[in-house]
Amino acid sequence: MKGSAIKYEKDNIDTDVILPGPYLKIHDYNELAKHAMEGLDRDFHKKVKPGDFIVAGRNFGCGSSREHAPIALSYSGIKAVVAVSFARIFYRNAVDGAFLLPIEVEEETYRDISDGDELELETAKNEIRNLTKNKTYRMKPFPDLIGKIIEAGGLFNYRP
Amino acid sequence: MAKTLFEKIWESHVVLDEGNGRSLLYVDRHLVHEVTSPQAFDGLRMNHRRVRRPDLTFATMDHNVPTDNRSLPIVDQTSGMQIRALERNCSEFGVRLFGMDSPDQGIVHVIGPELGITIPGSTIVCGDSHTSTHGAFGALAFGIGTSDVEHVLATQCIWMDKPETFEIRVEGRRRNPHAVTAKDIMLSIIRRIGTGGGTGTTFEYRGDAISELSMEQRMTICNMSIEGGARAGLVAPDEKTFDYLRGRRYLPEKFDDMVEYWRENLKTDGNAAFDRCFTIHVDDIAPQVSWGTNPAMTVDVTGRVPFPSEYAGGFPGEEKAAEKALQYMGLKPGTPITEIHVDRVFIGSCTNSRLEDLVEAAKVVRGRKVSQGVRAMVVPGSQHVKRQAEDLGLDRVFKDAGFEWRESGCSMCLGMNPDILASGERCASTSNRNFEGRQGTGGRTHLVSPVMAAAAAIAGHFVDVREMGLT
Repeated sequence: MKGSAIKYEKDNIDTDVILPGPYLKIHDYNELAKHAMEGLDRDFHKKVKPGDFIVAGRNFGCGSSREHAPIALSYSGIKAVVAVSFARIFYRNAVDGAFLLPIEVEEETYRDISDGDELELETAKNEIRNLTKNKTYRMKPFPDLIGKIIEAGGLFNYRP
Repeated sequence: MAKTLFEKIWESHVVLDEGNGRSLLYVDRHLVHEVTSPQAFDGLRMNHRRVRRPDLTFATMDHNVPTDNRSLPIVDQTSGMQIRALERNCSEFGVRLFGMDSPDQGIVHVIGPELGITIPGSTIVCGDSHTSTHGAFGALAFGIGTSDVEHVLATQCIWMDKPETFEIRVEGRRRNPHAVTAKDIMLSIIRRIGTGGGTGTTFEYRGDAISELSMEQRMTICNMSIEGGARAGLVAPDEKTFDYLRGRRYLPEKFDDMVEYWRENLKTDGNAAFDRCFTIHVDDIAPQVSWGTNPAMTVDVTGRVPFPSEYAGGFPGEEKAAEKALQYMGLKPGTPITEIHVDRVFIGSCTNSRLEDLVEAAKVVRGRKVSQGVRAMVVPGSQHVKRQAEDLGLDRVFKDAGFEWRESGCSMCLGMNPDILASGERCASTSNRNFEGRQGTGGRTHLVSPVMAAAAAIAGHFVDVREMGLT
């Protein structure tokens, strides 16, 4: 999985900026996507390309339980969010509907990746390659259940 | 082996244990509202599934509902659609609904306990992050997303990775509990552990200062567990819990027998170990006011708006975050908190809209007037709260002072209904999140307790309510 990094040097990017409350009434996912990250970056929908990764700091997705947040990112083209840590409801919502991969990395990795870097993700090896900087980083392995749900392709395909 | 309260409730609900903490848990109560459920019901329909336990599923509408005149049609068409979708879904799937016209309607986390749906030792889920509120009764209560809502509707079970346990020990005695409230205790905790401090854990609040709290105050504490990053928050049930619940409508028939069992079993064993611990002493805490754009960005009312470097304590990321927060909030570092003027005051939300919150706020308001230029509103958490408050004459106290007295709902907590801030407006709010845009695009939120919000409405700026001689 390859894509370029859209980096936000910020911790605690909350679900209210990922998808502001007024849009929770929208049921069309492509329409939701037009408002992704609107609370933080009004140009996001113009710059995002299919396959891009968001790179951010600690506690990404904190706040509300709205699944609309990972859905909006996913339908705008984001395939993975690479962050130092994730709030747990967002983390789960991201994989339940196979919307995107929530990838946890060390603080140094987050600092090292620059906006626009080309990244390649190899979850089987727990590796992220930075093709621009010619470096390889470790990603933290998924917790047991999250890994199983990802493997199954979403919650409703998961069988114990 | 000695066990924590969390472990006891968790283990008694495991249907399937796949190892490494990966478990399928039984869900005792499922609360549903109009915003996170439509796609879940669509999913059931598409897959020809039914709701497995409609008798354990309870729905209401709160996020979208207008809080002014309910006899008028809903102006916002998309809100109206979500509300009608829930009505249709509940009738099609046989789910009990406390709808717009129901005398039981209210914020889902207010009506759960009030109707006796919330009981100790149970597991409760809802497509809302503040489901942690129900932990005040010793219920293990998680907020979940829409896919999980669908999964629970279909199976009455949820897959979970077992969270770690985090003891939050709250010790000491507040000098004036009418001025320094549960909200101030909770903001003090979040300020110290950070908004991600409890990620991947379940809090258990323990200690003298928790035992002395009323059930409503415990709900305020547990409500904001999610703001400290935790999946859930718990308080072990005690006589106050059982007394609060006794006689409520949806309690199990064998309530008294269950009380016996709960009294005996629902507590952390003496020598049980927690994965993590944090202790706070409340003797000297002051009323809290948030100045930034997350709930950890909070100071004492006697303090000043911090300088970013001072707030950051050497972490460059934090310094930038504080700079950005100050810019958004339109605040200058060094400004005394009591010199911050407000345009709006909101007393409401699942954090602080229960009867006791309104009783306490009314003490501040009685015989006074809302400051000129301030628009203030009280939004009771449920129709029950509203009627009880009216029986006590609180509606008159607030209205005479110049407050708006509204119908129950989430209102100005989250910018999904007509109650929003205009860009640049500054609000003293008893809600739970001060995120950018939370109360409306460009709106500026200061999180405070109900008495602090009421006092700000009267003075037009923040004041230290300890100086008001509240009893």
